[in-house]
Formats: sequence, C-alpha cells, structure tokens
Amino acid sequence: MTWRDFRPTRYRKYLIPTLAVTLLSLGAARVCGVSLQKLQEGLVTSGLFIARMFPPDWQAFPEMLEPAFDSVVIAFLGTAFGTLMAMTFALLAANTIAAPWIRNTSRFLIGLERSLPELVILLLLVAAFGLGATPAILTLAIGCVGMMGKLLADVIEEIDPVTIESMQSVGANKMQVIIFGVWPQILPSLISFALFRFEVNLRLSVVLGAVGAGGIGYELDYAFNTLAYHRALTALLVILVLVFATERLSRGLREKIKVGDPLK
Amino acid sequence: MSLANFILPSKKYRQRASVSGLVILSVALACAYIGFNPLGFFTEFHFVQDLLGEMLPPNFDALWSSSSIGFSFLQTVSMAFLGTLYGGLMAIILSFLAAANTMPFRVIRAFARSLLSLLRVIPALGIVLIYVIAVGIGTFAGLLTVVTITVATFGKLFTEMIENAEAPPSEAIYSVGATQVQVIRYSIIPQMLPTFIANLLFSFDLNMRMAVWLGVFGGGGIGFQLYLAMRVLHYKDATAYIFFIIVLVILVEKVSDFLRKKVLKASA
Amino acid sequence: MLEVRNLTKSLPNGRRLLDGISFTVERGEFVGILGASGAGKTLTLRCLNGLLRPDAGSVFVRDEQDIAHDICKIRKRQLRHMREKIGVIFQGYHLVKRLSALENVLIGRLGQISTLRSILYGFTDDEANQALLALAQVKMDHLAGTRTGSLSGGEMQRVAIARAIFQQPTLLLADEPISNLDPSNAKVIMKLIKPLSEQVPVVGVFHQPDMTAKYCTRVIAIKQGKVIYDGDPKLSDQLLAEIYGEELTVIENKILVKQGESVAS
Repeated sequence: MTWRDFRPTRYRKYLIPTLAVTLLSLGAARVCGVSLQKLQEGLVTSGLFIARMFPPDWQAFPEMLEPAFDSVVIAFLGTAFGTLMAMTFALLAANTIAAPWIRNTSRFLIGLERSLPELVILLLLVAAFGLGATPAILTLAIGCVGMMGKLLADVIEEIDPVTIESMQSVGANKMQVIIFGVWPQILPSLISFALFRFEVNLRLSVVLGAVGAGGIGYELDYAFNTLAYHRALTALLVILVLVFATERLSRGLREKIKVGDPLK
Repeated sequence: MSLANFILPSKKYRQRASVSGLVILSVALACAYIGFNPLGFFTEFHFVQDLLGEMLPPNFDALWSSSSIGFSFLQTVSMAFLGTLYGGLMAIILSFLAAANTMPFRVIRAFARSLLSLLRVIPALGIVLIYVIAVGIGTFAGLLTVVTITVATFGKLFTEMIENAEAPPSEAIYSVGATQVQVIRYSIIPQMLPTFIANLLFSFDLNMRMAVWLGVFGGGGIGFQLYLAMRVLHYKDATAYIFFIIVLVILVEKVSDFLRKKVLKASA
Repeated sequence: MLEVRNLTKSLPNGRRLLDGISFTVERGEFVGILGASGAGKTLTLRCLNGLLRPDAGSVFVRDEQDIAHDICKIRKRQLRHMREKIGVIFQGYHLVKRLSALENVLIGRLGQISTLRSILYGFTDDEANQALLALAQVKMDHLAGTRTGSLSGGEMQRVAIARAIFQQPTLLLADEPISNLDPSNAKVIMKLIKPLSEQVPVVGVFHQPDMTAKYCTRVIAIKQGKVIYDGDPKLSDQLLAEIYGEELTVIENKILVKQGESVAS
C-alpha cells in the first residue's frame, strides 16, 4: 500500500472544470462587451459626475417629502393587499388544509409568480391600467405571493395537525378551523414575513417609481432627465434615508416578535 | 357585566381587535390618499381583458425572426453567469480581508468592512446609474451592477461565516509552525468551501432574475428587448419574450437547486 | 532539552495564575503534569509552545543545532521555526474534519515546507509516503483516506498523534489527550505515546493520576500556580488529596468522588 491508494487526485479533478469555466467566462465577457479600459475611464467619469452632483439641492428637499410619503404608502398598501393574497394562496397550498390537486396547483402558481420579475408584471399592468399608483400597488401585491406564499404555506404545513384534526372532530367546518386554529398560530410568522416584505416592497416601490409609477423614484428619474443633477442627488439622499429607516424599523419590530423566524 | 365585557370578553381580544381595526383603518385611509381602489381591479377588469386580447396569442416567430433576440437572451444569461463568477470571487476575497480571524491588520480589515457596509446601503438604482454613466447603456453596465450587488449581498454573510469557523483546527495548525496563509488554506477554506459554492449557486439564481430586471434600466439583454416591445405596443412579441423568460428563470432555478443539493450532500 | 524557568502570570486583579513554575525535561522522560482545575497546568503547557505568553520567566527549547531559544521571547518567524519541531496533541484532537486522515497528518509539516508550495500543489510523494508510515505507526493506515469527521474519538486522537509523529519533533506536548476518551481508548493512546518518549521528551497535562502512575516516568503536581511535587509518578493518597483538595475520596490513585460531581478516573 502506498499513499497513492489514498491520495485524493484533487488537483487533476479540478483542472477540466476550471478550464471550462474560464472559457465560458471569456465568451460571456465578449458577449457583454467587457472592456477594462472602458471601465477605468468610465469610473473616472462617473466619479467626476457624482462629485458634480454635490451639493444637493436643499431647496428641493421639502418637495421630495410628499413623493417619498407616496412611495411609502404604495409599499404599505402593496404589502397589505399582498399579504391577503399570499394568505389565500398559502392556505390553498398547504397539504393540511387543501386537497392534493388544489395544493399542487397553488404551489405551482406561487412558484410561477416567483419566476416573473416584478418589472414585467408592472409593465403588463401599466399597459392595462395606465401609469400611476394602481399598477404599482397591484404589482407589489402580486409580488408578495411568490415569497410570502411559499413561506406561509410551509409554516401552515408545520402546524401540528393534531390541532386541526381535533377541531374538525368537534364539528368545525373548514372556515372555522382556519380562523380559530390556523390563524392565531401563524400570526407571528405572518407579521414577521410581512415586515420583511415591506422592506423589499419599499425598495421596489422606489424602483418602480422610476418607471413611471410615481413617488420618489419618479422624482429621481425626472430630475435626471431634466438634467437637474443637484435635485437628483437630493432625491437619492432621501431614498437612502428612507430605505435605511425602513430597514431599522422592520428589524426592530421583527426582533420584538421574535419567533423562530426563518428569515433571520 | 357591561355590554363591552359581553361583546369583547377578554383584554387580549380587545387588544387584538383594536389593532386589527387600526390596521384596516390605515389601509382605508392610505387607499383614499393615493387614489387606489382595490376593487377597481375587478370593476375595471375590461382593461385587463383588452390587454390580454392584445397579448394573446403570443407571437413566437418574433423569437426566431431576428437573431438579435437569441443574442439578447445570451447576453442576459452571460450577465448573470459572469456577474455571479466575478461577484462571488470578489465577495470571497473581500470577506477574507474583512474577517477578524484571517486579517490581523486592523486598517485593512476596517477598510474592507466599511466598503461592504457602504455597498449594502447604496440602493440598486444608484448603482445602475453610476455604471450607466461610466460605461454607457448596455450589457457592460448591467454586468457591473450584478457584480456589485452580488458583493454587497454576500460579502457580509461570508465574513460572518469565516469568523464562525472552528477555531481548534486553526490553533493546531499554528502550533506546527504554519503561517497564517497556510492556516487559511488548510483549515478555513476546507470548512468554507461547500457553503461558498452553495451560496454562489443561489446567487446565480438571484442574478438571473436581476439581469432581466436590469435590461429595462439600460442593462441590455432580453429585459431591454421586452421593454422595447411593449413600448412600441408589440404585445404579442412581448408575450413570447415573457414566456421564454419564465422558462429560463425556472430552468436556472432548478439547476441551481439541484447543484446546491449535490454540493451540500457531498460535504456532509 | 526543555528547561522551564520561573514562569509567572497574574490576572489584573493580582491573583497569580502561574507563580514561579520551573522544571527541566530531558529525552527519555514522559512527564505528567497533574493538578486541580484552575491550578495552572494547562496554562503552563501553553507557555511551552508559545500559545500563551507569561508575564515573566523563560522556556528554553533546543533547536536542531542544539542552540537554546526562549520560547517566551522569540517572535513570529523564529517562533514558527521552533514550533515546527514541537508536536502538540490536544484534548479536542483539533483535526480538520473535512479533510482525510492522510491530509491531516501531512498538515503536521506545514511549518517545514515553503508557504508557496503548500498552497499550490501540496506535498511530494515522499512526504505522503512518510505520512502513511506515521499513520501505520498508530495503526490508522487503513483509514488514511477517510474524512476525520467520520472517525471516532479514539481514532481521531490517533491521527493527531500521527500528525505529531510526522513532524519529527524534538519535543512533544499533550493537553489532556485522554480526557475525552473512554478508558479502553485512553489506554491505547497512552500506550502509543509512551514509546515516543524514548526519542523525544514528552510533557503532558492529565486529569488521570492512575494513568500517569502507570505510564509516566515522572509527575509534576501544580497547585495554585506553584509546583508542589516533582518526582515519582506513583503518588501517595495524601499527596493526591493535597493536590485535589480534601473533599476527594481517593482509592489507589483513582479519584472517585468529589462532592457530588464525578471526576474522570
């Protein structure tokens, strides 16, 4: 017996995959138009540009507050209605509540939603309803279904089936089981997920705003397009503060609820 | 027993009822403020119907007619792939520079940690903007954005993972007279490698979705084509694109999940 | 080969953890250090290879040119150089669980090969063969390719010993090497360490006076940071009581009961 019987041929095993990855990345780089020189020059341009955006236009600041509030409201409503929608899908996607074929369809739809980028949903809704808050709120709501739907469905399935069975055995119908058995148990998780999603939805609300949904995102986009760069910086700063504050708030509230939160 | 006690028997119930009432009230107020009619979706449904009429049946020919669509798909996938590769590598390197047990020099560590914190704070929108200004609209800007966001997302996570690595084997390796680099290579990296790879695979999944997104903001690729198509009201083409985007995203998700399970199983 | 002089270490509040520890160890000796918990034995051991620095005192170890260096004073590169030749066995084995037994043994010589080589392509065939021989010496060669994470405690400690053997050390240290093992495995380990002491001085910290009585050539007892005994490994019951406190019941060098706790014997 020599060491050869035991020595892992590690290095040889990694050679081919590494080569493959290198070749692929070179190809991909060509496709994306990577150019180090462009990047170097570009970053300088970028840096200068950002420097020129300073100082922020403090006078524009008060004008930013209302759009900022709008973005928050959009995110809030999107989360609220999204939670409702997600709840519905989740209940239908839990094997302890729904029949198998309903459950599988529901899970499939939830998964499908996750594959749809929110932007695509927005574009479709804007095409249907026009610009404004409505398509944005609907987009955020539908967007909740993917993430919250799956998490909620899993939480519902993890509830001790004894609870549900015992309620059914004393004659409660499906609705009563859900309201009195399922709902109280998943409430902490639900709130936790909703708070987390609210953070996400606020960022999304800003981004969607730039595509025409209104709010502070729209302000930013508008300022850029009208070359009012100082104003744009103001908008950016407001966005930064907003996102940061929401993150803190969401985390703080979630700490207080503190259930075995799978998101933490 | 007063009426209130009869209807709302326990304090806890009252608390919950008032909280729910508050929530419903604020939702109603918010709707009124912003002009959103939740039932509008159903009353104005004909809009959706009209749209659906325009969008269906999907025009799959649009996919084959011009080679540029296929190329756009390639671009988006490339953005996701390269973004994950470069971003992942940079995140790993930065995390080693930022972890207390692998970087003894405080200055470098502080620099790395603040860089990571800074990246996490800047909103994605800002990052796209910076790169678009720097290198113009197109897939290069999109790629750079993906790289940056990947580093922002995983940098801090990796740092924490490294700092939570088992200390005893490292102590033993120092005891044989090894240098810090050797300790990293033989103790820390073997421990971290499976999770790094699993996270990178997950990152590929996320970046794929991001790459589609970014197309609309000037990142190029299929996202951009989709946006264009909708802009010029070629809804049937758009539907075809959307269909394939979904297929692509689901495909990447399945592959990523599969490989992740394999990696986690092999390391157990 | 090893000379410890006057090791002293105090806490900020003045309490002395180590108070003038001194002893010398030569080749052929297997020294067991005994003491109650907190008496200072592990601290002493850690000073011997520089994992801990005392406030005062010296630890002289001879290198291959027979020049004595003070472990407590030398830094970085010199310390690493000295550590190459000091083998350490830990209570918790301290192996890299994801690597195979062979790779863990090879790690023993990381100090002796250049950093660049160790990162890039690893070890030579010759070194790998020697590592396998070290594993054979501890009767673990048939498990050379297994991940250490899937080995039992006794097997892991044997791999750790092989790692130390592979270093070709001039001094061997052991920090409670058998405290985590059941009695039969403990015996196996002691039987493996004992013959090594013919080549190199071995200093080990133990909680098992019956083991040190049987296998060590010499016992040093530490109480409250001071050496209170240095000599014959067979300790009288009186002495054991003094080391561990009067609450213990001691029968034939085995500590049995300590006020409701059970102490490993």
